[in-house]
Amino acid sequence: MTSLARDVAVVGVGYSQLSRAGEPEPAVLLLDAVKGALADAGLTSADVDGIFEYKFGPESPGAQDVARVLGVPDLAAFADILPTNPSGLGGVLAGVMAVASGACETALVFRCLTRAAGHTGGVADGPREIAGRNQFLTPYGYLGGILVEMALKKRRWLAEYARPEADFGHIAVNARRWAALNPRAVLREPVTMDDYLSSRAIAEPLRLLDCDYPINGAVATVITTAERAADLRQPPVLVDAMSYGTGRGADWTFHTDYLYGGTFDCANRLWRRSSVTLDDVDVAQVYDGFTSVTLSWLEALGVCGRGEFGDWIGDGSRLGPGGDFPMNTAGGQLAEGRLHGVSFLNEAVLQIRGQCGPRQVPNAQVALVASGLYLQCGAVVLTSG
Amino acid sequence: MTQQTLVTAGGSRPVPRPDEISRFFWDGAGEGRLLLQRCRACGNLQYPPDVCCLNCQSEDLEHTEVSGHGSIYSYAVIERPLHAGFVDAVPYVIALVELVEQPGLRLVTNLVGAAPAQLACGQPVEVVFERRDGITLPQFRLTEASR
Repeated sequence: MTSLARDVAVVGVGYSQLSRAGEPEPAVLLLDAVKGALADAGLTSADVDGIFEYKFGPESPGAQDVARVLGVPDLAAFADILPTNPSGLGGVLAGVMAVASGACETALVFRCLTRAAGHTGGVADGPREIAGRNQFLTPYGYLGGILVEMALKKRRWLAEYARPEADFGHIAVNARRWAALNPRAVLREPVTMDDYLSSRAIAEPLRLLDCDYPINGAVATVITTAERAADLRQPPVLVDAMSYGTGRGADWTFHTDYLYGGTFDCANRLWRRSSVTLDDVDVAQVYDGFTSVTLSWLEALGVCGRGEFGDWIGDGSRLGPGGDFPMNTAGGQLAEGRLHGVSFLNEAVLQIRGQCGPRQVPNAQVALVASGLYLQCGAVVLTSG
Repeated sequence: MTQQTLVTAGGSRPVPRPDEISRFFWDGAGEGRLLLQRCRACGNLQYPPDVCCLNCQSEDLEHTEVSGHGSIYSYAVIERPLHAGFVDAVPYVIALVELVEQPGLRLVTNLVGAAPAQLACGQPVEVVFERRDGITLPQFRLTEASR
């Protein structure tokens, strides 16, 4: 037995204020979130020896920036992670691995972004000649980041399974049901299925309410050994299992498994490693940057068979408060606001601690988190230990 | 088989920059031929072109002409331009077309000359070619029977 592989726990969560309006300074948002997470854990910056962040867009300070501002004595492990990772959960996975391996003792993970990240509205001139892989996409007007791809995936799903758009609408309606119970959420007004089905086309058939809500905000998480967690301020939340996945032929547009990407590989790997099964899951946090992503994840995670979501979802209430599969209990990125993965992890932690107030799932002991999409998948099972 | 060339405007639209791997594809399109990489070791056809066969990793790839016939795998209708070059193009249709030669063999294309309301996944399509500023892009349209 080497020194590698230790039990790992999540011991602190923190948030800045979340907003749609204005242009707050990212560094200010981030300081709130990381100080909040450390205070929540009962730790100080002197305890931090690892920092991991998911960098999508230039606005977020980097790992060393945060270490400097917080006065962290030294970083034994750190990374600024590319946007090709499983969204913000990529920072969490890296932090878990670093603590489990012994590379560091206490990892601070964060995601900081403003509503400008990934902004593709308006008409812009790009470069005239398109090199690399985009030479097969951009000349055809395949633009706007991943919006076109999300529209193509939704259309194929509708055709492949001969399903109505309402299947996707249930995810959007559910997000607002929960957000109404979350004071942090930016979009708290309910939406109906009619609202969903009449929301404007972004790239038909992709609708406005299929897309998450860009906000300004920062979110942070503190990860350390389970041994150390036992002496800290909060009830321990153990990382029972984690996994990544890409699937074969990893690509946005030409993936071997067009509708699911690596979600099945990631989910199957997670369940092989976990001490629990899907039946044990009390609450789930599933990436909803676009509603099609959530549908592919849910099938891959095993809530129903491949292509059976439409039969499984019924009237949608099973995902909501009081339902048998409560999902995205903070409102997800569709309604709490786009915080990129780390927010799903934090909400799962708060649920297991029993600290979610009116949106608390009774006696939540096991939480499932799935983040990222298609060729960049990550997932975690958390337990109360 | 030399296909019909479809000349369009769109002078400010982006164009591909051919490279060592892709040049045969764009050169073929300039001759009205849809050329793909085919692996001499396993027979796999692939698109986009890549450094080796994505099925068996052989680097023994040839360029072979395919029929240009396929079906609509998926499509999206773009009504709001996302680039100055496409302001005069909206609404336009971006599609994934699956070629008849091999299951899962797909290209990104526009569906030209089609009203969005008449489209559906599975409809048969055929290649046409669009000249754009000294380079030629394969494009697809509904076959005559399905127009």
